[in-house]
Amino acid sequence: MLYILRRVAFYLAAFFVAVTLNFFIPRIMPGDPSARIIASFQGRLNEAQIEAIRASYGTTGSMWEQYLSYVGQVMRMDFGISTVQFPEPTSSLLFYGATWTLVLVGIAITFAFLIGTMMGIHAAWNRGGFFDSVFTPINVMLNAFTPAVVALLLFYAFSLQLQWFPLGRAHSTGLSPNWSFEFIGNVLYHATLPVLSILIVSFGGWHLGMRNVMINLLNEDFVILARAKGLSDRRVRYRYVARNAILPQITSLALSVGFLLGGALVTEQVFNYPGLGKFTVTAIESRDYSFIQAQLLLLTMSVLVANFLSDIANVVLDPRLRKG
Amino acid sequence: MSSDRALLEVRNLTVDYVGEHSIARAVNGIDFDIREGEAFGLAGESGCGKSTVAFALARLTRLPGLVSGGEVRLNGENVLKFDKARLKAYRWNEVSFVFQSAMNALNPVIPVAEQITDVIETHNPGLGADGARARAEELFELVGIPPARLDDFSHQFSGGMRQRICIAIALALNPRLIIMDEPTTALDVVVQRDIIEQIVDLKAKLGFSVLFITHDLGLMIEFCDRIGIMYSGELVEVAPSEAILTNALHPYTRALGNSFPPLTGPRLRMEGIPGSPPDLRSLPQGCRFAPRCPRAMDICRVENPELRLYPEHRSQAACHLLN
Repeated sequence: MLYILRRVAFYLAAFFVAVTLNFFIPRIMPGDPSARIIASFQGRLNEAQIEAIRASYGTTGSMWEQYLSYVGQVMRMDFGISTVQFPEPTSSLLFYGATWTLVLVGIAITFAFLIGTMMGIHAAWNRGGFFDSVFTPINVMLNAFTPAVVALLLFYAFSLQLQWFPLGRAHSTGLSPNWSFEFIGNVLYHATLPVLSILIVSFGGWHLGMRNVMINLLNEDFVILARAKGLSDRRVRYRYVARNAILPQITSLALSVGFLLGGALVTEQVFNYPGLGKFTVTAIESRDYSFIQAQLLLLTMSVLVANFLSDIANVVLDPRLRKG
Repeated sequence: MSSDRALLEVRNLTVDYVGEHSIARAVNGIDFDIREGEAFGLAGESGCGKSTVAFALARLTRLPGLVSGGEVRLNGENVLKFDKARLKAYRWNEVSFVFQSAMNALNPVIPVAEQITDVIETHNPGLGADGARARAEELFELVGIPPARLDDFSHQFSGGMRQRICIAIALALNPRLIIMDEPTTALDVVVQRDIIEQIVDLKAKLGFSVLFITHDLGLMIEFCDRIGIMYSGELVEVAPSEAILTNALHPYTRALGNSFPPLTGPRLRMEGIPGSPPDLRSLPQGCRFAPRCPRAMDICRVENPELRLYPEHRSQAACHLLN
C-alpha cells in the first residue's frame, strides 16, 4: 500500500513538472498565439478587443499570474480556444481526436501484446525448433519496419488498388455515433488497416521480449524442479515460466504507450483517420498553440497513467513488491 | 537400517556434453548401486560429474547434455528407456530432488502452497484440492514449519526454511529415493546442521534412500552409509563412509581426505592436491589421476584401471597400485 502511495505522489509530482514545462515552452518561443489572431484582423481591432483576445489566451498579466491561471485552466480541463477552428474550444477537438486514437491504439496494442507474447512463449519453449527458427527472424524483421512504410503499403494495396477497405475516416459519413452493432462494425471496418499497420510493426517486439526472458528462466532451479516434479508441460510453461516472464513485459507495455501514441500520428495521416495525430499535424502546420500544448499534456498524462497502471499490475502480480 | 537390496542399479552410465566441435564425456561409464534405505554419497571436486549423474538418474539431462549409454535400473526396469507416461509416474513418485540453492528452487511469484499441491494433484488427481491442501499442511508440520505459512511466498522465508520447504516438496509423494544435490551448501553452518539432522530423522521415519551430493566430505561421512568418490567423470572408489578417511584405497581419496583439517589435534599444514583435473576434451592416456598422483607408475600412464571389489576392505577402487 505504501508502495502505491509513493508511486501516486511521484506521478502527481511528474504531472506538475509536465504542466509547468508545458506552460513555459511556448512562452520561450518567439511570438505569442494571440498575435496571430490579432494580425489576421489587419488592424481592424480596437484596444479593448485586442485585450480581450489576449486575455482569452492567458497572455496578460505577470508570468506568475499567467502560470496560476494556466494551472487553474488545466484543472478544469479548459485548454483555451483553438486558433485554427476559432472559436471552437480546444478541449472538444482534443477529446474527439483522442477518442479515435484510443480506438486505434487500444485495439492495436492489445492484439500486438497478446499475439507477440503468445508467439514468444511458444518460440522460447521450443527454441531452435521450426516455429522459433521461422517466426523469430520474421518477427524481428517486421519489428524493424517503420510504421510509415507499412501504412503506405497497406493503404496502397488494400484501399487504393483492391478497394477492400475505405480511403479514410473513422466511420461512414452517413452514420452518427451510437452503440449499435452497425455503427461499431462500421468503425471496426474503418479501423482495420490502421490497426493492422500498427500491429505489424509492434508485435515482434513482444515476441522477442517474451522469448528472451523465458529462455533465461528455463535454466532456473525452480523450472528444473517443476519439470522434475512431473508436472504437465503446460503447467510448467505457463505457471512456472510465462508467469514470471510476463512481469517485465507489463513494464514495457506501459513504456510503449507513449511511443505508440506518437507512432499513431503517421498512421492517422496516411489513413486520413480523425485521431489526435491528424489534429496535431494540422495544429502544427497552423501554429495552433493551445492545441499543441494540450495535446502534449494529454500525451504526458497518458504515459503517466499507463505507468501507474503497470505499477499497480506489478504489485498485484509480483508478491515481492507487496511488502509493507 | 539400510538393507543390501539394491533400489537403483547404475550400470555403465555415460553422459556427454555435446559442443559444436567437440564432445566432453562428463560421466564415463560408471557403476554403482543405491540400496534400499541407504544414504549414498557422491563426492569429488567441482566438475567431476556428480551433479551430471544426479540429473541423469532423474532423467533431467537436457541438451547440450546427452545420456549416451548405460542403464539405470529400478526394480529391473530401465529408467533411461521410460516412455512419457512411465516417466511422469517415475518422477516424484519414485525419485524426487532437493536442489543446491534453496534461494532459487521455489518460484518467487506463486504461493508456496501451490508448489506443493500441484505435484500432489498432478500425481493423485483423485485426491482433490482439499486433500492436496491437507497433505501440504501435514508436510509442513513434518519439516517443522507452521502450516499457517503455506500461503506465503518464498521471499518471506529464511534460507533454512526455504530448504525445509524444498524437503517438504520432495517428500510430498513418499518417494523411495531423494536426490539431494548439495542441499546445504548455500546455508550457514548452524542451519546446515539443523537441516541434516532433520533429514536423518525423516529418513529414519520414512525409510527413503538418499543420493547425497556435496563437496563437504566431513558432512558426507557423517551422513552417508557409503560414499563414491568421483574424479574426472569416473568413480575411483566406492567405500563404506567410515573407511574413507581411515582406510582409503585410492590415492585420490586419500588426497581428498588430507585436504580437510581435523577439528581436534595439533595444527597441521594442509596439503592440497597439486595440479588440476584434466580437460575432458583432451584426456591423458591411462589413469586420469596419474598426472597428479604422487605414486603413479608406468602402467598408470598407459592403461586406465577398472573399478574392482576388494572384499577384505569392503571397498571398490580403481587403481593399479592395489594389484
